[in-house]
Amino acid sequence: MLPFFADLVMRTDEARRDFETNPVVLDAVAHGMSIERYRKLLLELYHVVWHFNPVCAAAASRVPDAQRQVRYFLYEHMHEESGHEEWVMNDLEAVGVAHADTRAHTASLHTLALNGYNYWAADRRHPCSVLGMMYALEVIASVYGGTFSSAIRESLLLEGDRGVSFISSHATMDAEHMVTLRQVLNTITDDDAREAVVESATLNFFYFTRVFESV
Amino acid sequence: MKRDPTAALTTLMTRPYKYIRLEWSEELAALRLRTCVKPIQCYSLAAMAELQRVFSDIAENPGLVKHYVMTSDVPGVFNFGGDLSLFVLLIRARDIESLRMYGRRCIDLVWWMENASKLGVHTTVLVQGDTLGGGLESVMPFHKVIFERSAQAGFPEVLFNLFPGMGAWDFTIRKAGFAIANEMILSGRLYTAEQLQRRSLVDLIVEDGEGEAAIEAVLRSVNPRLRGTLAALEARRHAAPITYESLMTIVDQWTETALQLTDRDLRLMERLARAQVRKAGGGNEGAVAEIKQIELDTAWGEERTGVTEWGAFA
Repeated sequence: MLPFFADLVMRTDEARRDFETNPVVLDAVAHGMSIERYRKLLLELYHVVWHFNPVCAAAASRVPDAQRQVRYFLYEHMHEESGHEEWVMNDLEAVGVAHADTRAHTASLHTLALNGYNYWAADRRHPCSVLGMMYALEVIASVYGGTFSSAIRESLLLEGDRGVSFISSHATMDAEHMVTLRQVLNTITDDDAREAVVESATLNFFYFTRVFESV
Repeated sequence: MKRDPTAALTTLMTRPYKYIRLEWSEELAALRLRTCVKPIQCYSLAAMAELQRVFSDIAENPGLVKHYVMTSDVPGVFNFGGDLSLFVLLIRARDIESLRMYGRRCIDLVWWMENASKLGVHTTVLVQGDTLGGGLESVMPFHKVIFERSAQAGFPEVLFNLFPGMGAWDFTIRKAGFAIANEMILSGRLYTAEQLQRRSLVDLIVEDGEGEAAIEAVLRSVNPRLRGTLAALEARRHAAPITYESLMTIVDQWTETALQLTDRDLRLMERLARAQVRKAGGGNEGAVAEIKQIELDTAWGEERTGVTEWGAFA
Protein backbone atom coordinates (compact mmCIF):
# COMPACT_ATOMS: atom_id res chain seq x y z
CA MET A 1 0.00 0.00 0.00
CA LEU A 2 1.19 3.48 -0.87
CA PRO A 3 2.48 5.46 2.15
CA PHE A 4 0.03 8.29 2.82
CA PHE A 5 2.62 10.99 2.11
CA ALA A 6 3.13 9.59 -1.40
CA ASP A 7 -0.63 9.30 -1.85
CA LEU A 8 -1.03 12.94 -0.79
CA VAL A 9 1.70 14.06 -3.19
CA MET A 10 0.04 12.18 -6.03
CA ARG A 11 -3.52 13.30 -5.32
CA THR A 12 -2.57 16.95 -4.94
CA ASP A 13 -0.11 16.84 -7.83
CA GLU A 14 -2.19 19.00 -10.14
CA ALA A 15 -2.95 21.65 -7.50
CA ARG A 16 0.75 21.86 -6.58
CA ARG A 17 1.77 22.13 -10.20
CA ASP A 18 -0.90 24.75 -10.85
CA PHE A 19 0.84 26.90 -8.25
CA GLU A 20 4.32 26.13 -9.56
CA THR A 21 3.43 26.83 -13.17
CA ASN A 22 1.34 29.93 -12.57
CA PRO A 23 2.89 32.67 -14.77
CA VAL A 24 2.83 35.23 -11.94
CA VAL A 25 4.60 32.83 -9.59
CA LEU A 26 7.15 31.83 -12.23
CA ASP A 27 7.92 35.43 -13.03
CA ALA A 28 8.32 36.33 -9.36
CA VAL A 29 10.63 33.38 -8.74
CA ALA A 30 12.75 34.26 -11.77
CA HIS A 31 12.81 38.06 -11.58
CA GLY A 32 11.53 39.06 -8.15
CA MET A 33 8.85 41.77 -8.00
CA SER A 34 8.43 45.50 -7.53
CA ILE A 35 8.57 46.86 -4.00
CA GLU A 36 4.86 47.73 -4.10
CA ARG A 37 3.91 44.17 -4.98
CA TYR A 38 6.34 42.71 -2.46
CA ARG A 39 4.81 44.87 0.28
CA LYS A 40 1.35 43.65 -0.71
CA LEU A 41 2.51 40.04 -0.68
CA LEU A 42 4.11 40.37 2.75
CA LEU A 43 0.97 42.05 4.11
CA GLU A 44 -1.12 39.11 2.94
CA LEU A 45 1.49 36.71 4.27
CA TYR A 46 1.29 38.43 7.65
CA HIS A 47 -2.35 37.37 8.01
CA VAL A 48 -1.55 33.79 6.98
CA VAL A 49 1.29 33.57 9.50
CA TRP A 50 -0.68 35.33 12.26
CA HIS A 51 -3.48 32.78 11.96
CA PHE A 52 -1.25 29.75 11.47
CA ASN A 53 -0.81 28.91 15.15
CA PRO A 54 -4.45 29.57 16.15
CA VAL A 55 -5.54 27.20 13.36
CA CYS A 56 -3.07 24.59 14.62
CA ALA A 57 -4.29 25.12 18.19
CA ALA A 58 -7.92 24.71 17.12
CA ALA A 59 -6.99 21.47 15.39
CA ALA A 60 -4.84 20.20 18.28
CA SER A 61 -7.72 20.68 20.73
CA ARG A 62 -9.94 18.46 18.56
CA VAL A 63 -7.52 15.72 17.55
CA PRO A 64 -8.79 12.43 19.00
CA ASP A 65 -6.63 10.52 21.46
CA ALA A 66 -6.10 7.80 18.84
CA GLN A 67 -4.08 10.33 16.84
CA ARG A 68 -2.12 11.76 19.72
CA GLN A 69 1.06 11.73 17.59
CA VAL A 70 -0.57 14.43 15.45
CA ARG A 71 -1.39 16.46 18.55
CA TYR A 72 2.22 16.30 19.79
CA PHE A 73 3.47 17.18 16.32
CA LEU A 74 1.22 20.25 16.33
CA TYR A 75 2.43 21.32 19.81
CA GLU A 76 6.04 21.23 18.63
CA HIS A 77 5.27 22.97 15.39
CA MET A 78 3.35 25.76 17.12
CA HIS A 79 6.25 26.25 19.51
CA GLU A 80 8.64 26.61 16.57
CA GLU A 81 6.38 28.97 14.65
CA SER A 82 5.53 31.13 17.62
CA GLY A 83 6.42 34.78 17.01
CA HIS A 84 7.18 34.37 13.32
CA GLU A 85 4.56 36.96 12.42
CA GLU A 86 7.03 39.45 13.94
CA TRP A 87 9.60 38.36 11.35
CA VAL A 88 7.11 39.30 8.65
CA MET A 89 6.46 42.63 10.39
CA ASN A 90 10.18 43.33 10.56
CA ASP A 91 10.57 42.49 6.87
CA LEU A 92 7.70 44.84 6.12
CA GLU A 93 9.34 47.55 8.18
CA ALA A 94 12.55 47.03 6.17
CA VAL A 95 10.61 47.75 2.98
CA GLY A 96 8.83 50.77 4.41
CA VAL A 97 5.67 49.54 6.16
CA ALA A 98 5.36 50.51 9.82
CA HIS A 99 4.23 47.89 12.35
CA ALA A 100 1.04 49.82 13.05
CA ASP A 101 0.14 49.83 9.35
CA THR A 102 0.73 46.09 9.14
CA ARG A 103 -1.55 45.45 12.12
CA ALA A 104 -4.21 47.71 10.62
CA HIS A 105 -4.08 46.06 7.22
CA THR A 106 -7.21 44.24 6.04
CA ALA A 107 -6.54 40.93 4.37
CA SER A 108 -7.65 40.37 0.79
CA LEU A 109 -10.67 38.20 0.03
CA HIS A 110 -8.42 35.33 -1.04
CA THR A 111 -6.48 35.43 2.23
CA LEU A 112 -9.71 35.65 4.22
CA ALA A 113 -11.02 32.63 2.31
CA LEU A 114 -7.77 30.74 2.91
CA ASN A 115 -7.75 31.43 6.64
CA GLY A 116 -11.50 30.97 6.94
CA TYR A 117 -11.34 27.57 5.29
CA ASN A 118 -8.48 26.46 7.54
CA TYR A 119 -10.41 27.40 10.72
CA TRP A 120 -13.57 25.77 9.43
CA ALA A 121 -11.75 22.60 8.38
CA ALA A 122 -10.02 22.25 11.76
CA ASP A 123 -13.33 22.78 13.53
CA ARG A 124 -15.92 21.05 11.32
CA ARG A 125 -14.17 18.95 8.67
CA HIS A 126 -11.46 17.02 10.51
CA PRO A 127 -8.70 18.28 12.83
CA CYS A 128 -6.07 16.45 10.76
CA SER A 129 -6.92 18.75 7.83
CA VAL A 130 -4.42 21.17 9.34
CA LEU A 131 -1.71 18.84 8.07
CA GLY A 132 -2.87 19.57 4.52
CA MET A 133 -2.43 23.29 5.19
CA MET A 134 1.07 22.63 6.50
CA TYR A 135 1.94 20.45 3.54
CA ALA A 136 0.94 23.12 1.02
CA LEU A 137 2.68 25.96 2.85
CA GLU A 138 5.85 23.95 3.42
CA VAL A 139 6.04 22.80 -0.18
CA ILE A 140 5.73 26.40 -1.29
CA ALA A 141 8.34 27.59 1.20
CA SER A 142 10.87 24.78 0.89
CA VAL A 143 10.76 24.42 -2.87
CA TYR A 144 10.37 28.07 -3.85
CA GLY A 145 11.28 30.16 -0.81
CA GLY A 146 15.04 30.12 -1.41
CA THR A 147 14.90 31.07 -5.07
CA PHE A 148 12.18 33.63 -4.48
CA SER A 149 14.00 35.37 -1.63
CA SER A 150 17.19 35.52 -3.75
CA ALA A 151 15.22 37.07 -6.61
CA ILE A 152 13.62 39.61 -4.27
CA ARG A 153 16.96 40.45 -2.69
CA GLU A 154 18.44 41.10 -6.14
CA SER A 155 15.53 42.97 -7.65
CA LEU A 156 15.06 45.26 -4.63
CA LEU A 157 18.78 45.54 -3.83
CA LEU A 158 18.25 44.38 -0.25
CA GLU A 159 21.25 43.60 1.93
CA GLY A 160 21.64 40.22 3.61
CA ASP A 161 18.38 38.92 5.05
CA ARG A 162 16.96 42.40 5.61
CA GLY A 163 13.43 42.42 4.21
CA VAL A 164 13.45 38.72 3.33
CA SER A 165 14.19 37.09 6.68
CA PHE A 166 10.86 35.30 6.97
CA ILE A 167 10.83 33.76 3.49
CA SER A 168 14.54 33.07 3.44
CA SER A 169 14.66 31.31 6.80
CA HIS A 170 11.52 29.30 6.12
CA ALA A 171 13.03 27.98 2.91
CA THR A 172 15.62 26.17 5.00
CA MET A 173 13.48 25.40 8.03
CA ASP A 174 10.61 24.02 6.03
CA ALA A 175 12.87 21.60 4.20
CA GLU A 176 13.54 20.08 7.64
CA HIS A 177 9.88 20.35 8.62
CA MET A 178 8.93 18.43 5.50
CA VAL A 179 10.78 15.38 6.82
CA THR A 180 8.85 15.36 10.10
CA LEU A 181 5.59 16.21 8.37
CA ARG A 182 6.06 13.19 6.09
CA GLN A 183 6.65 10.99 9.11
CA VAL A 184 3.51 12.13 10.89
CA LEU A 185 1.39 11.93 7.73
CA ASN A 186 2.47 8.33 7.25
CA THR A 187 1.01 7.45 10.65
CA ILE A 188 -2.51 8.45 9.57
CA THR A 189 -4.55 5.42 8.59
CA ASP A 190 -8.06 6.79 9.05
CA ASP A 191 -9.78 7.37 5.69
CA ASP A 192 -11.78 10.43 6.82
CA ALA A 193 -8.62 12.07 8.13
CA ARG A 194 -6.76 11.30 4.90
CA GLU A 195 -9.52 12.75 2.74
CA ALA A 196 -9.57 15.91 4.86
CA VAL A 197 -5.80 16.33 4.49
CA VAL A 198 -5.99 15.95 0.71
CA GLU A 199 -8.86 18.45 0.48
CA SER A 200 -7.08 20.94 2.69
CA ALA A 201 -3.81 20.73 0.75
CA THR A 202 -5.70 21.24 -2.52
CA LEU A 203 -7.60 24.25 -1.13
CA ASN A 204 -4.46 25.81 0.33
CA PHE A 205 -2.55 25.49 -2.94
CA PHE A 206 -5.52 26.98 -4.76
CA TYR A 207 -5.98 30.00 -2.48
CA PHE A 208 -2.28 30.65 -2.09
CA THR A 209 -2.00 30.78 -5.87
CA ARG A 210 -4.86 33.32 -5.94
CA VAL A 211 -3.19 35.40 -3.20
CA PHE A 212 0.01 35.45 -5.22
CA GLU A 213 -1.84 36.38 -8.40
CA SER A 214 -3.77 39.18 -6.75
CA VAL A 215 -0.72 41.12 -5.59
CA MET B 1 -12.22 -17.50 -20.33
CA LYS B 2 -11.66 -15.55 -23.53
CA ARG B 3 -13.07 -12.04 -23.43
CA ASP B 4 -15.38 -10.58 -26.03
CA PRO B 5 -12.99 -8.46 -28.18
CA THR B 6 -15.64 -5.84 -28.94
CA ALA B 7 -16.42 -5.37 -25.27
CA ALA B 8 -12.70 -5.29 -24.42
CA LEU B 9 -12.06 -2.65 -27.06
CA THR B 10 -14.99 -0.57 -25.84
CA THR B 11 -13.65 -0.74 -22.30
CA LEU B 12 -10.16 0.26 -23.46
CA MET B 13 -11.34 3.18 -25.54
CA THR B 14 -13.92 4.62 -23.18
CA ARG B 15 -12.01 4.84 -19.93
CA PRO B 16 -11.93 8.43 -18.64
CA TYR B 17 -8.33 9.46 -19.29
CA LYS B 18 -7.10 12.89 -18.47
CA TYR B 19 -3.58 13.02 -19.87
CA ILE B 20 -3.78 10.69 -22.83
CA ARG B 21 -5.98 10.39 -25.88
CA LEU B 22 -6.59 7.11 -27.67
CA GLU B 23 -7.44 6.45 -31.30
CA TRP B 24 -8.24 3.11 -32.84
CA SER B 25 -7.60 1.90 -36.38
CA GLU B 26 -9.77 -1.13 -37.07
CA GLU B 27 -8.01 -2.02 -40.30
CA LEU B 28 -4.57 -2.41 -38.72
CA ALA B 29 -5.69 -3.18 -35.16
CA ALA B 30 -3.54 -0.19 -34.24
CA LEU B 31 -3.90 1.73 -31.01
CA ARG B 32 -2.61 5.28 -31.17
CA LEU B 33 -1.82 6.94 -27.85
CA ARG B 34 -1.30 10.69 -27.73
CA THR B 35 0.05 12.24 -24.56
CA CYS B 36 -0.77 15.68 -23.20
CA VAL B 37 0.28 15.93 -19.59
CA LYS B 38 -0.73 19.16 -17.84
CA PRO B 39 0.84 21.48 -16.91
CA ILE B 40 4.16 19.96 -17.99
CA GLN B 41 4.55 17.21 -20.54
CA CYS B 42 6.47 14.80 -18.34
CA TYR B 43 6.01 11.43 -16.67
CA SER B 44 3.94 12.54 -13.70
CA LEU B 45 2.58 9.83 -11.41
CA ALA B 46 -0.95 10.45 -12.66
CA ALA B 47 0.09 10.20 -16.32
CA MET B 48 2.00 7.00 -15.64
CA ALA B 49 -1.05 5.50 -13.92
CA GLU B 50 -3.06 6.11 -17.10
CA LEU B 51 -0.36 4.55 -19.29
CA GLN B 52 -0.24 1.54 -17.01
CA ARG B 53 -4.01 1.19 -17.30
CA VAL B 54 -3.77 1.12 -21.09
CA PHE B 55 -0.93 -1.41 -21.01
CA SER B 56 -2.89 -3.65 -18.63
CA ASP B 57 -5.94 -3.52 -20.89
CA ILE B 58 -3.80 -4.53 -23.88
CA ALA B 59 -2.12 -7.35 -21.97
CA GLU B 60 -5.42 -8.67 -20.64
CA ASN B 61 -6.79 -8.98 -24.17
CA PRO B 62 -4.22 -10.86 -26.26
CA GLY B 63 -4.63 -10.37 -30.00
CA LEU B 64 -6.76 -7.25 -29.66
CA VAL B 65 -4.01 -4.68 -30.31
CA LYS B 66 -1.39 -5.52 -32.92
CA HIS B 67 0.26 -2.14 -33.26
CA TYR B 68 0.85 0.38 -30.49
CA VAL B 69 1.83 3.88 -31.59
CA MET B 70 2.80 6.71 -29.28
CA THR B 71 3.01 10.42 -30.09
CA SER B 72 2.75 13.72 -28.26
CA ASP B 73 -0.07 16.22 -28.53
CA VAL B 74 2.13 19.01 -27.18
CA PRO B 75 3.75 21.05 -29.96
CA GLY B 76 7.55 21.05 -29.79
CA VAL B 77 7.78 18.60 -26.90
CA PHE B 78 7.67 14.82 -26.96
CA ASN B 79 8.38 14.38 -23.29
CA PHE B 80 10.52 16.12 -20.66
CA GLY B 81 11.01 12.87 -18.74
CA GLY B 82 10.87 12.62 -14.99
CA ASP B 83 8.72 14.91 -12.90
CA LEU B 84 11.53 17.15 -11.68
CA SER B 85 9.48 19.24 -9.27
CA LEU B 86 8.17 16.04 -7.70
CA PHE B 87 11.75 14.76 -7.34
CA VAL B 88 12.76 17.99 -5.60
CA LEU B 89 9.82 17.70 -3.23
CA LEU B 90 10.44 14.03 -2.37
CA ILE B 91 14.18 14.55 -1.97
CA ARG B 92 13.63 17.48 0.37
CA ALA B 93 11.18 15.34 2.35
CA ARG B 94 13.83 12.54 2.43
CA ASP B 95 11.09 10.27 1.11
CA ILE B 96 13.05 7.35 -0.26
CA GLU B 97 9.99 5.09 -0.35
CA SER B 98 8.06 7.35 -2.71
CA LEU B 99 11.10 8.01 -4.88
CA ARG B 100 11.67 4.29 -5.19
CA MET B 101 8.00 3.77 -5.94
CA TYR B 102 8.19 6.40 -8.70
CA GLY B 103 11.26 4.75 -10.22
CA ARG B 104 9.75 1.29 -10.05
CA ARG B 105 6.56 2.46 -11.74
CA CYS B 106 8.71 3.79 -14.58
CA ILE B 107 10.46 0.44 -14.83
CA ASP B 108 7.13 -1.38 -14.95
CA LEU B 109 6.17 0.68 -18.00
CA VAL B 110 9.55 0.15 -19.64
CA TRP B 111 9.34 -3.57 -18.90
CA TRP B 112 5.93 -3.80 -20.51
CA MET B 113 7.38 -2.19 -23.63
CA GLU B 114 10.30 -4.62 -23.57
CA ASN B 115 7.80 -7.51 -23.48
CA ALA B 116 5.45 -6.10 -26.12
CA SER B 117 6.68 -8.51 -28.82
CA LYS B 118 5.84 -11.43 -26.53
CA LEU B 119 2.33 -9.99 -26.19
CA GLY B 120 2.00 -9.86 -29.98
CA VAL B 121 2.26 -6.07 -30.16
CA HIS B 122 4.56 -4.13 -32.47
CA THR B 123 5.46 -0.70 -31.09
CA THR B 124 6.21 2.53 -32.96
CA VAL B 125 7.00 5.98 -31.59
CA LEU B 126 7.12 9.34 -33.34
CA VAL B 127 9.19 12.06 -31.69
CA GLN B 128 8.41 15.62 -32.78
CA GLY B 129 10.29 18.03 -30.54
CA ASP B 130 12.35 17.80 -27.39
CA THR B 131 12.68 14.61 -25.43
CA LEU B 132 14.89 14.60 -22.39
CA GLY B 133 16.05 12.14 -19.75
CA GLY B 134 13.18 9.81 -18.96
CA GLY B 135 11.48 10.98 -22.14
CA LEU B 136 14.33 9.52 -24.19
CA GLU B 137 14.42 6.43 -21.99
CA SER B 138 10.76 5.87 -22.73
CA VAL B 139 11.48 6.00 -26.48
CA MET B 140 14.32 3.45 -26.39
CA PRO B 141 12.28 0.25 -25.93
CA PHE B 142 10.05 0.93 -28.97
CA HIS B 143 10.57 -1.41 -31.90
CA LYS B 144 10.52 1.43 -34.41
CA VAL B 145 11.74 4.89 -33.47
CA ILE B 146 10.89 7.76 -35.83
CA PHE B 147 12.23 11.28 -35.28
CA GLU B 148 11.27 14.42 -37.15
CA ARG B 149 14.42 16.24 -38.22
CA SER B 150 14.24 19.12 -35.73
CA ALA B 151 13.73 16.86 -32.71
CA GLN B 152 16.46 16.84 -30.08
CA ALA B 153 17.16 14.45 -27.25
CA GLY B 154 19.62 13.67 -24.52
CA PHE B 155 20.24 12.62 -20.96
CA PRO B 156 20.90 15.86 -19.01
CA GLU B 157 20.72 14.20 -15.56
CA VAL B 158 24.47 14.27 -14.98
CA LEU B 159 24.29 18.08 -15.07
CA PHE B 160 22.58 17.95 -11.68
CA ASN B 161 24.61 15.01 -10.34
CA LEU B 162 22.09 12.33 -11.17
CA PHE B 163 21.91 9.75 -13.94
CA PRO B 164 19.07 8.37 -16.02
CA GLY B 165 17.96 5.34 -14.04
CA MET B 166 14.94 4.01 -15.90
CA GLY B 167 16.47 1.89 -18.63
CA ALA B 168 18.93 4.28 -20.32
CA TRP B 169 21.99 2.11 -19.71
CA ASP B 170 20.45 -1.22 -20.69
CA PHE B 171 18.69 0.02 -23.81
CA THR B 172 21.46 2.30 -25.08
CA ILE B 173 24.03 -0.46 -24.66
CA ARG B 174 21.76 -2.88 -26.51
CA LYS B 175 21.09 -0.54 -29.40
CA ALA B 176 24.27 1.51 -29.68
CA GLY B 177 26.96 -0.22 -27.65
CA PHE B 178 28.78 0.50 -24.43
CA ALA B 179 30.98 3.36 -25.66
CA ILE B 180 28.03 5.37 -26.93
CA ALA B 181 26.01 4.73 -23.78
CA ASN B 182 28.99 6.00 -21.81
CA GLU B 183 29.33 9.08 -23.98
CA MET B 184 25.65 9.98 -23.92
CA ILE B 185 24.94 9.38 -20.26
CA LEU B 186 28.14 10.80 -18.81
CA SER B 187 28.27 13.91 -21.00
CA GLY B 188 24.71 15.14 -20.43
CA ARG B 189 24.84 16.41 -24.03
CA LEU B 190 21.91 16.96 -26.34
CA TYR B 191 21.81 15.23 -29.71
CA THR B 192 20.10 16.01 -32.98
CA ALA B 193 17.97 13.43 -34.73
CA GLU B 194 20.80 12.78 -37.19
CA GLN B 195 23.35 12.29 -34.44
CA LEU B 196 21.03 9.81 -32.77
CA GLN B 197 20.47 7.95 -36.02
CA ARG B 198 24.23 7.66 -36.52
CA ARG B 199 24.32 6.11 -33.04
CA SER B 200 21.60 3.59 -34.02
CA LEU B 201 19.10 4.96 -31.53
CA VAL B 202 16.75 6.32 -34.19
CA ASP B 203 15.54 4.10 -37.02
CA LEU B 204 14.04 6.68 -39.30
CA ILE B 205 14.31 10.45 -39.72
CA VAL B 206 11.65 12.34 -41.64
CA GLU B 207 11.26 16.02 -42.40
CA ASP B 208 9.23 18.12 -39.98
CA GLY B 209 5.54 17.63 -40.63
CA GLU B 210 6.03 14.25 -42.30
CA GLY B 211 5.91 12.18 -39.14
CA GLU B 212 2.27 11.17 -39.51
CA ALA B 213 2.85 9.81 -42.99
CA ALA B 214 5.91 7.96 -41.73
CA ILE B 215 3.86 6.21 -39.03
CA GLU B 216 1.36 5.10 -41.62
CA ALA B 217 4.16 3.82 -43.88
CA VAL B 218 5.81 1.90 -41.04
CA LEU B 219 2.56 0.24 -39.96
CA ARG B 220 1.70 -0.72 -43.53
CA SER B 221 5.15 -2.16 -44.16
CA VAL B 222 5.28 -4.13 -40.90
CA ASN B 223 1.68 -5.39 -40.91
CA PRO B 224 1.94 -8.00 -43.71
CA ARG B 225 4.92 -9.61 -41.95
CA LEU B 226 3.90 -8.89 -38.40
CA ARG B 227 4.22 -12.44 -37.02
CA GLY B 228 7.70 -12.89 -38.45
CA THR B 229 8.78 -9.46 -37.29
CA LEU B 230 7.56 -10.05 -33.75
CA ALA B 231 9.20 -13.48 -33.65
CA ALA B 232 12.49 -11.92 -34.79
CA LEU B 233 12.18 -9.16 -32.20
CA GLU B 234 11.48 -11.76 -29.55
CA ALA B 235 14.60 -13.67 -30.64
CA ARG B 236 16.53 -10.37 -30.44
CA ARG B 237 15.53 -10.13 -26.80
CA HIS B 238 17.18 -13.47 -26.16
CA ALA B 239 20.27 -12.52 -28.15
CA ALA B 240 20.73 -9.28 -26.22
CA PRO B 241 18.78 -9.81 -23.02
CA ILE B 242 17.68 -7.05 -20.68
CA THR B 243 16.47 -8.28 -17.32
CA TYR B 244 13.87 -6.88 -14.98
CA GLU B 245 16.35 -7.45 -12.14
CA SER B 246 19.00 -5.29 -13.82
CA LEU B 247 16.49 -2.50 -14.43
CA MET B 248 15.29 -2.67 -10.82
CA THR B 249 18.80 -2.72 -9.38
CA ILE B 250 19.71 0.37 -11.38
CA VAL B 251 16.54 2.24 -10.42
CA ASP B 252 17.17 1.45 -6.75
CA GLN B 253 20.66 2.87 -7.14
CA TRP B 254 19.12 5.91 -8.84
CA THR B 255 16.90 6.37 -5.79
CA GLU B 256 19.84 6.25 -3.40
CA THR B 257 21.77 8.72 -5.56
CA ALA B 258 18.82 11.10 -5.82
CA LEU B 259 18.55 11.25 -2.07
CA GLN B 260 22.16 12.43 -1.85
CA LEU B 261 21.67 15.44 -4.11
CA THR B 262 22.75 18.69 -2.53
CA ASP B 263 20.84 21.92 -2.36
CA ARG B 264 22.83 23.20 -5.35
CA ASP B 265 21.87 20.15 -7.41
CA LEU B 266 18.23 20.59 -6.47
CA ARG B 267 18.28 24.25 -7.45
CA LEU B 268 19.69 23.31 -10.81
CA MET B 269 16.94 20.75 -11.16
CA GLU B 270 14.39 23.42 -10.26
CA ARG B 271 15.90 25.75 -12.85
CA LEU B 272 15.39 23.07 -15.48
CA ALA B 273 11.86 22.41 -14.24
CA ARG B 274 10.99 26.10 -14.60
CA ALA B 275 12.45 26.12 -18.10
CA GLN B 276 10.19 23.19 -18.97
CA VAL B 277 7.20 25.28 -17.94
CA ARG B 278 8.30 28.11 -20.22
CA LYS B 279 8.37 25.72 -23.17
CA ALA B 280 5.09 24.07 -22.15
CA GLY B 281 3.58 27.55 -21.97
CA GLY B 282 4.35 28.11 -25.63
CA GLY B 283 7.74 29.80 -25.30
CA ASN B 284 10.39 29.13 -27.90
CA GLU B 285 13.11 28.60 -25.36
CA GLY B 286 12.60 25.86 -22.85
CA ALA B 287 14.52 23.11 -21.15
CA VAL B 288 16.72 22.49 -24.18
CA ALA B 289 17.85 26.11 -24.27
CA GLU B 290 18.40 25.96 -20.52
CA ILE B 291 20.55 22.83 -20.82
CA LYS B 292 22.63 24.49 -23.52
CA GLN B 293 23.07 27.48 -21.23
CA ILE B 294 24.06 25.19 -18.36
CA GLU B 295 26.57 23.43 -20.63
CA LEU B 296 28.01 26.80 -21.63
CA ASP B 297 28.17 27.97 -18.04
CA THR B 298 29.88 24.74 -17.08
CA ALA B 299 32.41 24.95 -19.90
CA TRP B 300 33.11 28.55 -18.95
CA GLY B 301 33.54 27.56 -15.32
CA GLU B 302 35.89 24.74 -16.28
CA GLU B 303 37.97 26.97 -18.51
CA ARG B 304 38.18 29.62 -15.85
CA THR B 305 38.84 27.48 -12.82
CA GLY B 306 39.70 24.06 -14.14
CA VAL B 307 36.78 22.50 -12.30
CA THR B 308 33.09 22.19 -12.92
CA GLU B 309 31.45 24.50 -10.45
CA TRP B 310 27.75 24.87 -9.93
CA GLY B 311 28.04 27.59 -7.34
CA ALA B 312 26.70 30.12 -9.81
CA PHE B 313 23.33 28.41 -9.70
CA ALA B 314 23.06 28.06 -5.96
